[in-house]
Amino acid sequence: MIEGDAATSAPAGARTSTDVFATPERRVEGHGKVTGAADFAADIKRDGMLHVAFVGSPYPHALVRRVDVSGARTAPGVRAVLAGADVRPARFGRRLQDWPVLAWDRVRFIGDRVAAVAADTLEHAEAAAALVDVEYEEQPAIFDAEAALADGAPVLHPDAADYAVVARRGEQVKRSPVPHPNLQGHEVHEHGDVAGGFAKAARIFEHTFRVPPVHQAYIEPRAALVWIEGDVTHVVSTNKAPFSLREQMAQTLDLPAESIVVHTPHVGGDFGGKGLSLDEHALVFLARATKQPVRSLLRYADELQISNTRHGAVIHLRTGIDRDGRITAHESRVIFDGGAYAAGKPVNSLMPGDAMLTLAGYHVPAARVEASAVYTNHLPAGHDRAPGQPQNSFAAESHIDLIARELGIDPLDFRERNAIRAGQIDIHGDQWHASEVPRVLATLRREAKWDAPLASSHPSSAQGRGRGVALGVRHVGRGKTSMELTLGPDGSVEVKTGAPDQGGGAHTMIQRVVARELDLGPERVRIEQLDTATSPVDPGVGGSRVTPVHGNAALDGARKIKAALAEGRAAPITVTGTAEQQQHMYGAYAYAIEVELDRETGAFKITDATLVADVGTVINPVAVRGQLEGGFAFGLGQAAMEELVIDDGRVVTANLGDYKIPTIGDVPKLRLVLITDAPGPGPFGAKSVGELANAAITGAVANAVANAGARVYSLPITAEKVFAELHQGHSPA
Amino acid sequence: MNGFTYHEPTTWPAAQDLIAREPDATMLAGGTAFTLLLRQGLIRPTTVVSLRRISGANRILADSHGGLWIGAMATHSTVVRSPEVRRNWPEFADAAATVATLRIRNQATIGGSVAHADPASDVPVMLAALDAQVIVRKPNAAPRVPIDQLFIDTFTTSLAPGEFIESIQIAGRGPNTRAVYLKYTPRSVDDYATVSVAARAEVEEGRLRAPRIFLGAVGGRPMRAMSVEAALGDGTEARAFADAAALVRSDIDPIDDVRGSAEYKREMARVFVERALRTLVA
Repeated sequence: MIEGDAATSAPAGARTSTDVFATPERRVEGHGKVTGAADFAADIKRDGMLHVAFVGSPYPHALVRRVDVSGARTAPGVRAVLAGADVRPARFGRRLQDWPVLAWDRVRFIGDRVAAVAADTLEHAEAAAALVDVEYEEQPAIFDAEAALADGAPVLHPDAADYAVVARRGEQVKRSPVPHPNLQGHEVHEHGDVAGGFAKAARIFEHTFRVPPVHQAYIEPRAALVWIEGDVTHVVSTNKAPFSLREQMAQTLDLPAESIVVHTPHVGGDFGGKGLSLDEHALVFLARATKQPVRSLLRYADELQISNTRHGAVIHLRTGIDRDGRITAHESRVIFDGGAYAAGKPVNSLMPGDAMLTLAGYHVPAARVEASAVYTNHLPAGHDRAPGQPQNSFAAESHIDLIARELGIDPLDFRERNAIRAGQIDIHGDQWHASEVPRVLATLRREAKWDAPLASSHPSSAQGRGRGVALGVRHVGRGKTSMELTLGPDGSVEVKTGAPDQGGGAHTMIQRVVARELDLGPERVRIEQLDTATSPVDPGVGGSRVTPVHGNAALDGARKIKAALAEGRAAPITVTGTAEQQQHMYGAYAYAIEVELDRETGAFKITDATLVADVGTVINPVAVRGQLEGGFAFGLGQAAMEELVIDDGRVVTANLGDYKIPTIGDVPKLRLVLITDAPGPGPFGAKSVGELANAAITGAVANAVANAGARVYSLPITAEKVFAELHQGHSPA
Repeated sequence: MNGFTYHEPTTWPAAQDLIAREPDATMLAGGTAFTLLLRQGLIRPTTVVSLRRISGANRILADSHGGLWIGAMATHSTVVRSPEVRRNWPEFADAAATVATLRIRNQATIGGSVAHADPASDVPVMLAALDAQVIVRKPNAAPRVPIDQLFIDTFTTSLAPGEFIESIQIAGRGPNTRAVYLKYTPRSVDDYATVSVAARAEVEEGRLRAPRIFLGAVGGRPMRAMSVEAALGDGTEARAFADAAALVRSDIDPIDDVRGSAEYKREMARVFVERALRTLVA
């Protein structure tokens, strides 16, 4: 079933006209946010709370020879000043703990912290921080990820063997060996007969693409508050995965996890970035030193200069095509600029999650994929909405388009010809048991009126027109969680979960799943978010996991209540809903974009945009639409304007006036078409949408602009790059 | 952020007295630029004199010759909506409407924009093309300064300590006067210009006389396109515009930044000067 309007149409599988899913949702937290009653981390205060300022390195790479804090210690209002020697050997990170809480022997990017001050006011803390005297010895810096892998390149982490790896579900994990000391993570995948595939190809195409680092640009900067009561360390954080932060801090601080309690209040946007916490670790040392609560708020300028960005990347792709226009073999090499620390990456590979996905949604009979994340003296990179996909999708979808046009095949025909079908294998060598990719592309052809002629422009006119398409797939999240559900005597239900809602609508989704299963009005289901001391263990928000994992746990709990009632038990009934979702499944989507290009300036505007998305059953119709339209706008920023410009290690775009993200005036109308009748592994057949649609928009825009006259091989596709292409006479067919 | 003493005088003489006593005081108009500079630690004022409560300082008046008198504290939004501006110089209202977002336009003032002298701002460039006069308050005098002489360099005006802008005057137009402001923002509609062009001229039967052309974001101040103006001469027809516009490259001094390379800005200056000239005669 295909809908034109997610907010008003009934999703597939709706049983009755009174189905709770058919009604646009009211957000559980909406009233509090709209009235200002909702607390974010920065709203939470404690009596006697001290304020913190940090001292950051002015050099991208240097040895720390001496840190003199004596002037700062005696400054007015100061309660504690700590340097690296006071925290050594504490390092933090989500998986690999390679980031010193305060650097004691070496700084590796501009802003890397060497000292921290706690004082009565922020003004006092900042004034004292300016008095910390640090002697550095500059070292050669690495700003190019490929250069970092050269023989004889300076080794940025000579002590890597000492770094801890955060245990996973209590089990110690060992870091995989890497072939070069400046590698954070490195993997090679191979399947099929790659050499044979290239040998039988009629044509082989090879291209290189570049993607810059970008920032998640959530509205709420990081904030943290730490206080110690007896043996218990309390942490208020903007972290979206409180239990993971507890594990990481336990490792960093050498404390039992149970002695740390993490409270995450409302989170003002995440987009992958809020999984990494920076200040919390230093705050613990300062709280110990002062015996007072200590808090820090990151300025937005610091968000842009020291927090974990999306990885910049260089992507080399090579693909063989047979006489029928079908892929015979694919080879790729992806080099991610990981920056100074791998701490922002939560996965064992120590690369962005989809580092290896250099063709997404295609049948790939043979492939060799090599990906690396590399240490440089840039600010650390981490996770950002569909990690690895925006980089690879831009490259792959541009590459596919270049191939199609070179072969004289319509780019949508070429994608349909190579789209993965049930029984075929993908880039990872995995067989798909079902595929919505062909249907998504066929739907796009119809809804975007792909076969209608493009309003042509006169060759001498200043305006050019072009149309582009791009395909994307995104896994439905996996993982396990549990939550507690209580049916009260009044027939209402209370759900206690450890999962924060970072704005995606997790709590509302849980509410509606329980309401539907128990045939209650949603307002009869209350959601309470617990801290890590009182909640069952929870993986937090991320990895496209919440709807399929938390949704299934909510459903399991509701079913247990139903079963208890059927057995004749009376309220109150308390059950634990659990779920483990390990099914490998993908959601598919595709964009068609039309642009109008001003040939005199290189500026372009999107005149038509269609997104077809395979989303499964819709639980929160407003949020589904919001996530997809938001993903479109998010990706559009990276397509056309976003770039964290770094010059000799210094972030130039250090404010949101220079680092532009789209405003509503920049976002064109999107024709959104949902495919809802291909069920996913989530509750009632739901899939994930939060990271579904933001990657492929970059390729669709690049392909439309190429069709209008200028192929750009790097993001963002700026007017200046288009202008340069047009006036160098590179006019692709 | 450090504390500072804050004053809100309610009359111009009271403001002048305060300034005389506190010569290092920072004048505060709408505060949009002030707040950014303060937050970034680029200014550390000890005394701030806000002009927001001075009665009548935000008024906009039209004179009987079609001229405008714009109080320094008039916001961009006030200008955009003003019936007087809409009637006499709608092109100036259009230029003010290109500034940032509605929230900023509701707060940022015309006088503040001129005094701040950010070469990438919109209103100063348009006022320069319209040959506006700045009424300056100083002890025992209220001189009129041609706005083009007020701008010295980036964030620098000819105003001495203790002097401030009271109002800005734009003379009335002739029956054949045309004006236009073009702002090129290829990244986002909410951005500073990569290049902007303000132009006015007398136009009769498709011919252009007495052109006055200024560009924004391509030098330390609104940059006058002297070579273009000279090449256009009197009575130029549209077919000569492209050649004249190409001369703008030598009239400007752009830098490489996130809004474009200097070379690209020179190219865009050419394109938008030509477009501005064509718009004038259209």
